[in-house]
Amino acid sequence: MNDGRAPGAAVLPQNPLTSPSGGLQSVEMDPVEYTLRKRLPRKLPKRRNDVYVNMKTDFRAQLARCQKLLEGGGHREICVHGLGLAINRAINIALQLQASSQGALQLAANTSTVELVDDLEPDDPDEAPGEPMTRTRNNSAIHIKVYYPSP
Amino acid sequence: KEHCKILRTEEDSPSPFPGLASGVLEMRVKEGSKIRNLMGGVGGVAGSGGAGGLRQVVFTGSGRAVTKTITCAEIMKRKVGSLHQLTKLRYKGVKEVWESHDGGASEMTVHRTVPSISILLSKDPLDPREPGYQPPETLSALWEEREGADPQPPAAFKRPAGPPAFGGYPDCKRACLGEGGGVVLPSLSG
Repeated sequence: MNDGRAPGAAVLPQNPLTSPSGGLQSVEMDPVEYTLRKRLPRKLPKRRNDVYVNMKTDFRAQLARCQKLLEGGGHREICVHGLGLAINRAINIALQLQASSQGALQLAANTSTVELVDDLEPDDPDEAPGEPMTRTRNNSAIHIKVYYPSP
Repeated sequence: KEHCKILRTEEDSPSPFPGLASGVLEMRVKEGSKIRNLMGGVGGVAGSGGAGGLRQVVFTGSGRAVTKTITCAEIMKRKVGSLHQLTKLRYKGVKEVWESHDGGASEMTVHRTVPSISILLSKDPLDPREPGYQPPETLSALWEEREGADPQPPAAFKRPAGPPAFGGYPDCKRACLGEGGGVVLPSLSG
């Protein structure tokens, strides 16, 4: 993180060069305004029975889609994935599917960590000495297999 | 707001891990819990410790604390390494007591059901046939592995009728290669 680009965007303009310890902070927080853009999570495999749950689509629509896959689509199992805030919704969908199947469906949940990338773009490229940066962070995810156990 | 919640209690429910020895450390993650504090509480497991160290820990959380619960388990797995994991989902009953203030205090009790998650992390092996089992070091592999690190014969497209061992995931991978053709693999490196 402390990559030497710091002084240009230093928080302490009075002595930007003599405070190397402030380097990290000056990258994080500085007078240059940045726009934070969240990149989309990296592309993931998508089979016909994979459902990636989000928070934008109506809950009932996503639940209905899962039901359709299991009932009409003839799939013996589907995988419901949720990332971050959508974890709750993914769990809710899985539990609802199980409840409405009168116990015929089983759940097997796994958890994982997904690395996400944010882009930091200086708002005013002409004036600001800031350079575009990227930052990575982790978020939790859940993968729920919803399936009819084999007899 | 004329109503405010003055009490929230989770109704008792049987342990999601019936075979588990009593006395296993259980971390109840709440909406407002600080991850730092929670992780401090399980230092006994995290510390490499001698034979006396804790072998197992359970993280549970419901409602809005579910994501945090998973994050705790994920941090723990990364810190300690080689942990077997068992994840269980279910609905949990919650009793809330609300107080209303519009003219004379009156109380109201509400029963709700919220999704809840329980994650057992164990240094000792767990039953791999149990639904929700996850072997050690699957960290982020769940996502990446499936993109086809080790090529499998695409012949497995038609899933065998045999009992799907939990490993739905290896199966998934094959299916993925089968359906997507070889396209999935090359596009990876780009």
